[in-house]
Amino acid sequence: MSITSDILRGHTEAIILAHLLEKDSYGYQINKDIMKKTDNQCELKEATLYSAFRRLEQAGYIRTYWGDEKVGARRRYYSITEDGRRAYRAYKRDWEEAKAVIDQLLR
Amino acid sequence: MEEKIRKHIDGLFAGAPKTRKAMDLKEEMTQNTIEKYQDLIGEGYQEEDAWQMVTASIGDVTELFHELEEPDLFLSEEDRRKKAILKAAAIGLYILAGVVLFAWMIISESYFYSAPDLGMFGMIAAGLLCIPPTCLLVYAANMYPDYGKKEKNMVESYQEARRARNREKALKGSISAIIWLATLIVYFIVSFVTQEWGVTWIAFLMGGCAQAVLFLVFSLKSESKS
Repeated sequence: MSITSDILRGHTEAIILAHLLEKDSYGYQINKDIMKKTDNQCELKEATLYSAFRRLEQAGYIRTYWGDEKVGARRRYYSITEDGRRAYRAYKRDWEEAKAVIDQLLR
Repeated sequence: MEEKIRKHIDGLFAGAPKTRKAMDLKEEMTQNTIEKYQDLIGEGYQEEDAWQMVTASIGDVTELFHELEEPDLFLSEEDRRKKAILKAAAIGLYILAGVVLFAWMIISESYFYSAPDLGMFGMIAAGLLCIPPTCLLVYAANMYPDYGKKEKNMVESYQEARRARNREKALKGSISAIIWLATLIVYFIVSFVTQEWGVTWIAFLMGGCAQAVLFLVFSLKSESKS
C-alpha cells in the first residue's frame, strides 16, 4: 500500500490534469472523484493537493476562479489550459512508456 | 460547526505569510473542509468522528507556506524595478539641474561681467529641469500595479478600487507639482523682467485657480467614466 501511495503522490499533478480534462472542478470534488474511482482506497492529503494546484498554476497548466455559490462558502474552481492539455498528453505518453518498461522488468 | 472548522484552519494559517495567495488558499481549504464535513454527516457519521476525519486529512499545511510568499502584497517584482529606475532617473535629473545652474553661474560671471540679469536664466533653466524629476518621484511613490484578472472576489475588487484611487492621487500629485513649479518660474521671469514685485505675486493666485480648475475637470472626467 505504501508503494501505491508513493507512486500516486508522484503523479498528483497528472491526476489533477486528467480530472480537469472533462470539466472544471474544485479541490474536494477532485478528491471525491479519486476516491470513487479507486473504491475508497486512495485519497490525496489536502496539503499535497493544494501544493500541486499551486505548482500547476505557476506552470500555466491550470487557471483558477471563484464560483458564485449563493449559499455557503464559495468554491475555488480550476480549469485546464491549452498548455495543460499539451503537458498532460506528453505526460501520458511518458507514463505509458515507463509502464511498459517496468512491466517487462518485473515480469 | 462551520465556525469551528473556520477557526481551526485560521489557527493552522497563523504562521502563514500575510499575502493574497495565503488568504485565497485559506478560504479554499475552509470551503472544501466544510463541504467534506457536511458530506460525512450526510453519510451518517457522528459529528465528533466527522470532525476527526476532516482535520486528520488536512495534513501539514506549513509545507505550503513558502509557496505563498510574495515580495509585496500589491507590488510585483517588475513594478518595483520600474520604480527604482524612475527614482534613479529623477535623481539624475536633479543633479543635472544643479550642474546647469553652477555652469551657468561660472560662465556668466567670467564672460558677461556686468549682466546680473543673465544669472537669472541659469536659475530658470535649473527650475525647469526640476519639473520632470519631481513628477517622476510623485508618480513612483504612488505606483500600483494593475491586476487584469477576470474573476474577482471581494478582497480583490476592494484592492482594485484602492489602486485606482492611488493612481488618481499620483496623477493629481504630478499635476500639482507641474503647476506650482511653472508658477514659480513664471513669477520670477515676469518679476525680473518687469521689476513689478508688488503686483506679480498674483501669479500664485492664478496657479491656485489653475489647479482647482484642472482638478475639477479631472474629477468630472473620472465620474463620467465610472
